[in-house]
Amino acid sequence: MTIGFRLFLALGALFAFYVVIRNIRKSKLLISDCIFWTLFCAFIVLLAIFPGISYFFAGLLGIQSPVNLVYLFVLALALYISFKQTLRISELECKIKNIVQDITLERKK
Amino acid sequence: MKVLIIIPAYNEEGNIERVVKNLIDNYPQFDYVVVNDGSHDRTAEICYQNNFNLLDQPQNLGLAGAFQTGMKYALAKGYDAAIQYDGDGQHRPEFISAMADEIAKGADIVIGSRFVTEKKPSTLRMTGSNILQGLIKLTTGRTVHDPTSGMRMYSKNIIRILAENINMGPEPDTLAYFIRCGAKVAETQVKMDERISGESYLNLSRSVSYMLTMSVSILLVGCFRKKIEL
Repeated sequence: MTIGFRLFLALGALFAFYVVIRNIRKSKLLISDCIFWTLFCAFIVLLAIFPGISYFFAGLLGIQSPVNLVYLFVLALALYISFKQTLRISELECKIKNIVQDITLERKK
Repeated sequence: MKVLIIIPAYNEEGNIERVVKNLIDNYPQFDYVVVNDGSHDRTAEICYQNNFNLLDQPQNLGLAGAFQTGMKYALAKGYDAAIQYDGDGQHRPEFISAMADEIAKGADIVIGSRFVTEKKPSTLRMTGSNILQGLIKLTTGRTVHDPTSGMRMYSKNIIRILAENINMGPEPDTLAYFIRCGAKVAETQVKMDERISGESYLNLSRSVSYMLTMSVSILLVGCFRKKIEL
């Protein structure tokens, strides 16, 4: 991994962390929801500072370029969080539906 | 001083009647409110049958949500202090008045603490407590002997903040946040009982995720949160 790419990774992660914190300060984001993003940013910064980590795991998995492992890692985590969010949305939809039904039955009384 | 006992209850059919009746019979000087957090068992039914003072949430919001519902009630009714009190009978009411005295003396938050004069046992669970105690010490300079105690009393100004803001769950990170904002925190030695019926919420994976959330929240996020005027 080149110095330029590592710098890009670190700066990108720090900017993402800044966005997360800004939304906490604006009371728009729950702390429980920001933990994932905070750890994600921290890990990307770690990868940027210690490229040895990517080299080691790339070697282990037989991936030629460690940069590709970083891509794979980010993509996998993005898919993971996307699925978790789908689950959350389903759960919220059910809750809203139940609440509307409760209120509707309450009004009928 | 008007003190409200807030009892969040989620699936506490085996405990709620005993806990609330004890308060009604032996501690009539305090008001109480049960917040049923969308229980799937007979918790709400038991409260209705016994005519308990009940806030009945139609959906489960989790402890933080149920706790905040109680705080909104305390704010609306103008209470001087509100205490978070477990619906499973772990907390003992005989310590409430001592905690209220601390509020009267000017404390913003009083923790019903198991380890002011008593020594903390070295169990796995208490290792978590020690880690949190260390993190709070590191970020605020203050020693809180029992950061995970669920028995906490809040003064009027804190009740308003807890009722009206997000990210104010009844957890150690909120405690650390308030200390950073300049809140006066007192600890009163209490005893706690083992729960009699039902299951504890904490298992291994939940404990690990709880510790992770609390650590990141106190250490990383806490430093950047906007301070609030108390």
